[in-house]
Amino acid sequence: MSYKEKSIAISLVSYLMILGYYLVQVRRMIQAGGLVASELFVLWAVVIVATILVNILGNILASIVLAITHAIQTGSEQVERYVEDERDRLIDLKGTKIAYITFSIGVFIAMLTYMLGQSGLVMFALIIFFSSLAEIVGSISQIVLYRRGF
Amino acid sequence: MEKYWIRNNIRRLRFNNNEMTQEQLAEKVGVTRQTIIAIEGAKYSPSLELAFRIAQVFGVPLGEVFSYTSEDEPA
Repeated sequence: MSYKEKSIAISLVSYLMILGYYLVQVRRMIQAGGLVASELFVLWAVVIVATILVNILGNILASIVLAITHAIQTGSEQVERYVEDERDRLIDLKGTKIAYITFSIGVFIAMLTYMLGQSGLVMFALIIFFSSLAEIVGSISQIVLYRRGF
Repeated sequence: MEKYWIRNNIRRLRFNNNEMTQEQLAEKVGVTRQTIIAIEGAKYSPSLELAFRIAQVFGVPLGEVFSYTSEDEPA
């Protein structure tokens, strides 16, 4: 597994945890009587901020953890050679494209529920859900592309 | 329509160049070892620039490293 794959895998686990947290919170709200606007918007902010932090801090932390793991495994203090090449960039682009397609479909479904008579809060809740899901699908597709070769 | 694909002789060329490793070739052309593995396995077609860099490392023309052949033709 290359450095890039490991880094994506770490991000994927973080995204899964964020989505899990979100679903637990939404389930708690529904069990308590339904979606509450003030709570849902706070939750929305938490998910967005957490996703941004995962993208920034996750990459920094991944570099540190992977450098330490590499040093322990090889017994050398030399940093693993890492270059982002054309294949990495293409896989990155494909992953982003798949994530955008997933998110677009999600937004469409969310709007459809609103059109069919559900409340606006359901639409917002679904948009957050699909934004997290899109990140996960994008990361999984990148890992699959790395595993397949391209 | 007849199906064509890009084949390569990188493995043979590495062997003939003092058994150059994939890692050494990757370092010389500025990509990761995984990309060299993907190119050798014909899973990834490199950009024209990378293809030229690989040919340059072996000191051979591009056509000797890569070929565009039909399924029936020998590599």
